[in-house]
Amino acid sequence: MTAVEETIEVAVPVRAAYDQWTQFKSFPRFTDTVLRVEQVRPALVLWVVGRGPLRREYATEIVEQVPDSHLVWRSLGRGPRQRGEVRFRAAGEGRTAITVRVWAEPRGPVGLLAAVPGLARRMVRRELTNFGRFIEGHGEAGGGWRGTIRGGQVRPQEPEPPRSRVAGWPVG
Amino acid sequence: MKKPPREEPRDDLRITPPKTWAAGVPAVVHALEYSLEQAGPRETAVDLLTMNQVGGIDCPGCAWADPAPGHRHRNEYCENGAKHINDEATTRRITAGFFREHPVSDLAGRSDLWLNQQGRLTEPMVKRPGSDHYEPISWSDALALLADELRSLGTPDEAVFYTSGRVSNEAAFVLQLFARAFGTNNLPDCSNMCHESSGFALHETLGTGKGTVSLQDLHHADLIFLVGQNPGTNHPRQLSALEEAKRNGARVVAVNPLPEAGLMRFKNPQKASGIVGRGVQIADRFLHIRPGGDLALFQALNRLLLEAEDARPGEVLDHDFIRESTSGFEEFAEHTRGVSWADVLTATGLTRAEIEAVRDDVLRSERVVVCWAMGVTQHKHGVPTIREMVNFLLLRGNLGRAGTGACPVRGHSNVQGDRTMGIWEQMPDSFLDALRDEFGFDPPRAHGLDSVNCIRAMREGRVKVFLGVAGNFVRAAPDSAVTEEAVRRCRLTAHISTKLNRSHAVCGETALILPTLGRTERDHQAGGEQFVTVENSMSEVHSSRGRLKPASPLLLSEVAILCRLARRTLGDGPPGVPWGEFEADYGAVRDRISRIVPGLHDFNRRVARPGGIRLPNPVNEGVFRTETGKARFTANAGHMPYVPEGHLLLQTLRSHDQWNTVPYTSNDRYRGIHGSRRVVLVNPADLTALGLAEKDRVDLVSVWHDDAERRAEGFEVVPYPTARGSAAAYYPETQVLVPLDSVADISNQPTSKAVLVRLEKTAPAAP
Repeated sequence: MTAVEETIEVAVPVRAAYDQWTQFKSFPRFTDTVLRVEQVRPALVLWVVGRGPLRREYATEIVEQVPDSHLVWRSLGRGPRQRGEVRFRAAGEGRTAITVRVWAEPRGPVGLLAAVPGLARRMVRRELTNFGRFIEGHGEAGGGWRGTIRGGQVRPQEPEPPRSRVAGWPVG
Repeated sequence: MKKPPREEPRDDLRITPPKTWAAGVPAVVHALEYSLEQAGPRETAVDLLTMNQVGGIDCPGCAWADPAPGHRHRNEYCENGAKHINDEATTRRITAGFFREHPVSDLAGRSDLWLNQQGRLTEPMVKRPGSDHYEPISWSDALALLADELRSLGTPDEAVFYTSGRVSNEAAFVLQLFARAFGTNNLPDCSNMCHESSGFALHETLGTGKGTVSLQDLHHADLIFLVGQNPGTNHPRQLSALEEAKRNGARVVAVNPLPEAGLMRFKNPQKASGIVGRGVQIADRFLHIRPGGDLALFQALNRLLLEAEDARPGEVLDHDFIRESTSGFEEFAEHTRGVSWADVLTATGLTRAEIEAVRDDVLRSERVVVCWAMGVTQHKHGVPTIREMVNFLLLRGNLGRAGTGACPVRGHSNVQGDRTMGIWEQMPDSFLDALRDEFGFDPPRAHGLDSVNCIRAMREGRVKVFLGVAGNFVRAAPDSAVTEEAVRRCRLTAHISTKLNRSHAVCGETALILPTLGRTERDHQAGGEQFVTVENSMSEVHSSRGRLKPASPLLLSEVAILCRLARRTLGDGPPGVPWGEFEADYGAVRDRISRIVPGLHDFNRRVARPGGIRLPNPVNEGVFRTETGKARFTANAGHMPYVPEGHLLLQTLRSHDQWNTVPYTSNDRYRGIHGSRRVVLVNPADLTALGLAEKDRVDLVSVWHDDAERRAEGFEVVPYPTARGSAAAYYPETQVLVPLDSVADISNQPTSKAVLVRLEKTAPAAP
């Protein structure tokens, strides 16, 4: 497995940085490699990534997620395995340190690229920097999911206020 | 295109070895052959190329989910879906002349196959009291006649409004609104007869009546159970999902009394490997279980998992999940440790080694999905069986995580959506309150009649008017003779239908045929061209829009018929319901739905997105709306169908060339049956014990604790690898054998997979 760890500091509070990160569907707006994201549900996310002619689609399971603290994910399916985590830490007034660690299996065209010495690190660094510019430019998150995931399962949180006259669906 | 048959198709039974794989090139050939027999090349092309595509027609064939937009094939349908859509798009037409030629008594003597083959209904027809003929009637007079009959009832509860799962969300919402504004909750539906047991069991244990999985969960599961289902025939597109799962390394355990072709191997006709190669093996392990043995199987697996935990504490069960998210574990565990192996082996017909091998599969799997269908639900103990499967999932936290979950596989394309829209005779006060607040009338609170109770009420004269929206109630219902007698006691029966079926021939004193648009057809209303929406088995709501010219200019849409009927029946009331606006623009119906149904807020805008709306499932968000606020383990008493010596346990099933009550031909090529549907499949060892041989003619006689004789005559015996002690024969021909009172505990669902029968040998048929 290729391991990469990178940290940046961004000039927004932890909550803003964390909330923006949880908006996976917005990743194509600022990254160079994420082309499309579908969040099937909080703990199951589909990614289409690529550069140039290279494309890869894969699903990830969010294994752990704790608001304003960290997310841990791993890939699913038959492609090269990947797992990673991102941690958020207050770094002074209105500033956040974001650390990303990624372990990727050097298999397949994308995986082999990642195995080129230094390339994976530069890619992670660049994308992290892109994220930093994005959230600093906006100054606040464009949404946020405040739920908690442990062992791949969402833990109950305060329910959102109902948007329909029937609060919950009793039958199927 | 072929002309409709004038005579009943007659052929001799021919038996060939059962197939060991499903689909492949023959599926394409058979689909096109039937499609082109029914419809022209243009209709066939338009239907097939827009079917299950974004903005196209949702296949009415089954409720399996579509892949995400961008991941769909150009031909995103299966053999049976193609046949079904072109069966509706047929260019054959039934006119008034047909009904002059064929009196009702003649139609009542015709087969389901012959009736369906006559083509599309094209104008409203009425059978007057005492008459043996349908005759034309204008829409205005037809709806006035029905409305007058409804208004003349002593109480609104003397009417029932039946729904089949083809009905769109919009029509279903309007129907339940009309019924409740009229004053009754008598809203039986086909779900009462197919997955009612699933709804009750899941609601009690997980707090939702719906399945929890998406296609992605199936794709990424390590282990998939297929229990009591036949995907190759009844939901063939599931095979594509299983193929993807297998490519990702999943193992599949198939549990069924018959080794169906689709459980064994799949040749995907969309891929070169499926055309010239061997395809993909589906089941890694096949458990040849006795009908009704599934409860005992999962009890045994649960006992084995508890014992594995004893041997390796902390390594087998998901203790965090059990502690934080479930209730009732201790009582369940104590009960399960007492499950008797002798009982398990008798009930299942399996060996202990076979069950222990599955246990080992489970222990090696981090992610497990359990799929099931009517082989599980249509038993007396259908609800406890599903509860036990939920226990099995809960033990290792196989809920809410990616690649895990419960997957009831539904048949009708919108059967789940109709429930979401309020088609249920037992809707809770929260829904009825919402209707009251939205529309300004107080809906009735007393629960209505389900399908079985509706038949009882008709038989006793307590129901006098029956309106069926889609479907073929007379054939779908159990105990055919009792059902037919009950229906004939009605003062008026009316059916909103696309094609002719036996429910038009076995009818009330007055009968109406109200012909309607099909899914394939354009729907123009005052507000412009309309689309409808449906919800698949995985809670995804999306649009369906037909592209063909309607079969007749006299056809009305289901929404239009129901809105006009409501205005005729209710006059100016209730003032808060704009029936005319609903008919003109289905978007107005969706606006009201969006204010009532959870997850469908902003319905019109969101359903316009490619792929539509995925309704949230609380289980996947860690929320269990049960009595305890947690997922519930349950202790389920064992149940073993009693089969005395000389008898067999019969399950009814569909042939491959069939959609619900409609056979397309008399063939069932996967099972090697050709030319006849009046066959009974029996294990060769049982045939020997019963002194019977291949092609012997028998009557099937149902055994039940009442005085009625239920007999299905003139069947030919086919040796077949059914589980020992069991038999199988086609639905709906054998519905006559299912006693009305033989129902599942709790869900009141007919037990069509466990009919105790004896085979009485008869003389050979005259040449």
